[in-house]
Amino acid sequence: MKRGMNFFFAIALLLAGESPAGAETTLEKIARTGVLTIGTRTGSPPFAYINQKNEWVGFSIDLVEQLVLPPLAKKAGKPVKLEKKESAPPTRIPLLSSNAVDLIAETMTDTRSRRDSVDFSLTFFVTGAQFLVKKGSPIKGIKNIGGKRVAAQQGSTNARIIRERAPKAQLREFPDQPAAFQALAQGQVDGYTNDGIQLAGLKAKAPKPGAWDIVGEFYSYEPYGMALRKGDSDFRAVVNNGLMEGIDSGRFFEIYEKWFGPKGEVPYPMAPDVKKFMIYQSVPK
Amino acid sequence: MNYEFNWSVLWTGQSGQWLLQGLVTTLEISALAWLLAGALGVLSGALRTAPWAPLRAVAAFYVEFFRNVPLLVWMFFWYFGVPPLLPKPFQDWLYDHGAEFWAGTLALGVYHGARFSEVIRSGIQAIPKTQFEAALSTGLTTMQAYRFVIIPVALRLIIPPVTNESLNLLKNSSVALTISVAELTFQTRQIETYTAKAFEALTAGTVIYLILCLAIAGVMARVERRCAIPGMIARAAAAEH
Repeated sequence: MKRGMNFFFAIALLLAGESPAGAETTLEKIARTGVLTIGTRTGSPPFAYINQKNEWVGFSIDLVEQLVLPPLAKKAGKPVKLEKKESAPPTRIPLLSSNAVDLIAETMTDTRSRRDSVDFSLTFFVTGAQFLVKKGSPIKGIKNIGGKRVAAQQGSTNARIIRERAPKAQLREFPDQPAAFQALAQGQVDGYTNDGIQLAGLKAKAPKPGAWDIVGEFYSYEPYGMALRKGDSDFRAVVNNGLMEGIDSGRFFEIYEKWFGPKGEVPYPMAPDVKKFMIYQSVPK
Repeated sequence: MNYEFNWSVLWTGQSGQWLLQGLVTTLEISALAWLLAGALGVLSGALRTAPWAPLRAVAAFYVEFFRNVPLLVWMFFWYFGVPPLLPKPFQDWLYDHGAEFWAGTLALGVYHGARFSEVIRSGIQAIPKTQFEAALSTGLTTMQAYRFVIIPVALRLIIPPVTNESLNLLKNSSVALTISVAELTFQTRQIETYTAKAFEALTAGTVIYLILCLAIAGVMARVERRCAIPGMIARAAAAEH
């Protein structure tokens, strides 16, 4: 389905050329419709996932709901409803470019090459890539995965780094986390690499969390940002101001605590230097 | 929206090499799956018309079971479901030697075999009953009547729908990317990952699929013309491609 949509969008875009939607900025669209449509995940706890009560929730969704929506409603002069659509690494940029969603709020790493196609908000989370392995596995980090079968997420920066820095590893790329974890659990692969926080989430959700280890130093730097259409600076300013307000008021850190604190979905305490980095991102009024 | 097209991403860096690798993998998996689907389809399609009920039942079960479950599920079945049933050393060997590719080939071949089967059955049933009876009356056995009379005519009748199914098979091979087979669609996504140029990459993939499909349709139209038995199958005009 997603693949089908990809092609559909590509063709629709080609046929449309300069589409009439191009005349309208995102803020104007939101003021007209009263809806902010975000692309997010259903299986990436605790950023965006369907919980046991069948609610679509998460840290990234909370940030949008609590920090971005209020200033957006103020700007639009009326209440703004949040609409969520499923996005995945291969589909998120096309979804954004084709106006199907206005904002990507999930687990997307801000990179320079992605900035050629989309704009990013402030960084709202910092992590790095590691490996999830069965307890007692010989894999200890990126240095000794040569010849080993390693799963990664298709379209992720991690797969790219593995291909460049560990060309001897047998890379297997899966479109989603459940398939990659299944392959790890059954032995099709010896390790699964993803951002440390994703692995922590997967481990916390596994039937037997104690059977898994997260190993290796961060071999990548993954600053998560929300992606927006390129050149839409007014909308971007509203999103960023919302995040800065949240950092200033401490609301941002409360939301972080809710999801990553000791009682949160996935315990992942914010390192002191990360906290400092977050505070420094908020520029003076 | 202001999206800047940059088509050069398709031939700079490794993109061209990736597209080529993807194309080769797509052709390999499709060709192997097509052979498997063809063999299963002819066998099961013939059995579905056999004059013995248990054989018909077996073939009907195969068709209904395999064509009515989504292909994606079959991919997962052959990749995640089947290997754990094998002995452990063989499992490990398989995982190191392209388990993904073989699981994808089986999933695609067995699924499309069920669909081919129906096409072949319709071809067989389009042949008048009297022809089968005439074949028997010349002294052929049932097997021989199928082998020398019914199947050769049926295969000619079904070339257009088989072309259809073959094109579907080729395009459906992209589902194998869900179990990590680096075929053409996988590689277009990879180009997108490296360049963040989704539309260019997807367009390249689309154009390659289109060319492949047109080529197959063209070859099949030629086959149809070459194999036609004059006076045997009535038609207004030969198919043009």
